Amino acid sequence: MNLILIFISAAIINNYVLVSFLGICPFIGVSKKLGSAVSMGMATTFVMTITAAVAWLLNKYILIGLHLEFLQIVSFILVIASLVQLVEMFIKKVSRPLYDALGIFLPLITTNCAILGLALFLVMKQYNFIESIVFGFASGVGFTLALVIMAGIREELELADVPAPFRGAPITLIVAGCLALAFMGFSGLI
Amino acid sequence: MAKSKISMAQEFAKGLWKENPILRMVLGTCPTLAVTTSAINGVSMGLAVIFTLVMSSLIISLLRKIIPNEVRIATFIVVIATFVTVADRTIAAYYPEISKSLGPFIPLIVVNCIVLARQEAFASKNPVGRSVIDALGMSVGFTLVLLVMGSFRELMGNGTVFAHQIMPLSFQPWMAIALQPGAFLTLGFMIGLSNWIIAKGKRV
Amino acid sequence: MNKSLRLVLVLTLTAVLSGVILAVLNMYTAPRIELNANKTLSEAIGYVLPGNQKCDVKVVDDVTFYIGKDAQGKIVGVAFVAEGDGFQSRLKILVGMDPAMTKIIKIKVLSQAETPGLGTKIESDPTNKTDALWFHKQFFDLSASNPITVVKGKTADKSQAQIQAITGATISSKAVTDIINAAIAKNRTLYLNKAK
Repeated sequence: MNLILIFISAAIINNYVLVSFLGICPFIGVSKKLGSAVSMGMATTFVMTITAAVAWLLNKYILIGLHLEFLQIVSFILVIASLVQLVEMFIKKVSRPLYDALGIFLPLITTNCAILGLALFLVMKQYNFIESIVFGFASGVGFTLALVIMAGIREELELADVPAPFRGAPITLIVAGCLALAFMGFSGLI
Repeated sequence: MAKSKISMAQEFAKGLWKENPILRMVLGTCPTLAVTTSAINGVSMGLAVIFTLVMSSLIISLLRKIIPNEVRIATFIVVIATFVTVADRTIAAYYPEISKSLGPFIPLIVVNCIVLARQEAFASKNPVGRSVIDALGMSVGFTLVLLVMGSFRELMGNGTVFAHQIMPLSFQPWMAIALQPGAFLTLGFMIGLSNWIIAKGKRV
Repeated sequence: MNKSLRLVLVLTLTAVLSGVILAVLNMYTAPRIELNANKTLSEAIGYVLPGNQKCDVKVVDDVTFYIGKDAQGKIVGVAFVAEGDGFQSRLKILVGMDPAMTKIIKIKVLSQAETPGLGTKIESDPTNKTDALWFHKQFFDLSASNPITVVKGKTADKSQAQIQAITGATISSKAVTDIINAAIAKNRTLYLNKAK
């Protein structure tokens, strides 16, 4: 029951992008076309789930175990960067078509707050191992959801007559604001 | 971007408006949206970014000739992460209330696009003095946007600015602006507005 | 200098320097951070146990009881930390009870990271112009002989140990109540049997 709650929370009610404000850069940058939005979403979900597991283990056994909590930020970001690198190499070797679809997005994932935010959040919420993995996966789903909805809207927006100063980032943010407003409706869900 | 040749004053000023990291380059959006719920939160984040960006640019510019190209991103990240940790722990120790309000967004300065972008584009290719001025301009420009946004959202959502009651007590606060939708809408309009102002300037 | 060697050297040196700087930083900041946490706790104890002049700390079965005594040494109440999962964060609530543990004197939310604007109302509700602290004040002077229940929609009956949920934050409200109920049930036995 608790795991389902965590899933619904991160994916919908406290949607990773629209409520927790994480992953905004790719949200604005990669949401122009539906296809790339889906690919980015899947790549991010994949990395998030793995990162959740690794970050939890790292935190529990090395950082807390050896009283090195003050190295949390440095170690998390280094682990994430290496993990993404490894994932990229792994996908390239295992499935060339998958790499061609997702590969270019992977380096983009390292330096955006989505992944590091995930690691920091799950430490803050003091989730256990299974809860962390569910949270990681659910965050990826929430992220993908927001990205896909935005991409769908933006494809329609291409045909609309947006005033010149607002084209690009401004109109995307305003649409995001309306989306956030809509998602607020979910918060009374339970 | 090659070695910069404009005057020092221009180097500083460009970060304030013409190349403002948020308004013109749309970098560093995550913290901007998350921490501008009040003026003091916005300014605190801004100060933390100023510290991190200036110190990182200083060190990276000093070491730019020694850092091998292949490991430059990794090295940048370690340097930035070190200073972010310094900022984070210092705030937690001396300003616990602010530390609680800003939550995980101080550590997230590590992946703030502004910081890494300036190291990659500028500090690693320019002398120390210039890099520091550039860092200062960019981060102060960032802080100014945070200040304006934070004050606006606090004013409309709570009637106060820096916790001083500005609006008359009969003012009904516009809750949504202090929450998530308000953040997106305010930033969207701010960027749109600055685009319009710059376009107007070009036409004249 | 050999290229690979230089790569490794620069990275290692950077990492080591970073570690050293952060270790020194930790030496200076960690004590202060702990001090801040302790200060919050002692202020909270003063809040939930009015009349407390001197506080004895007793640990029974890894539950810490803060026994408040007045200037004459008479016990004014007992406080303990109730902890559990809220809607999206770990909730820590300090509960102050009378010495016989039949009634809650006051409670204070020590830490929460619930949904801003909704769940955060368990700590402070700025939309309530009469009293922003209305939610947790419902628990003041509440009888604890039976478990506290949460009501939605209708007015809560204090004599029946009911409290009103926050509109749109039912789970956070229920969580606070459940956590307090569980802690009281567990700690009452512990305290009355073993702490005396």
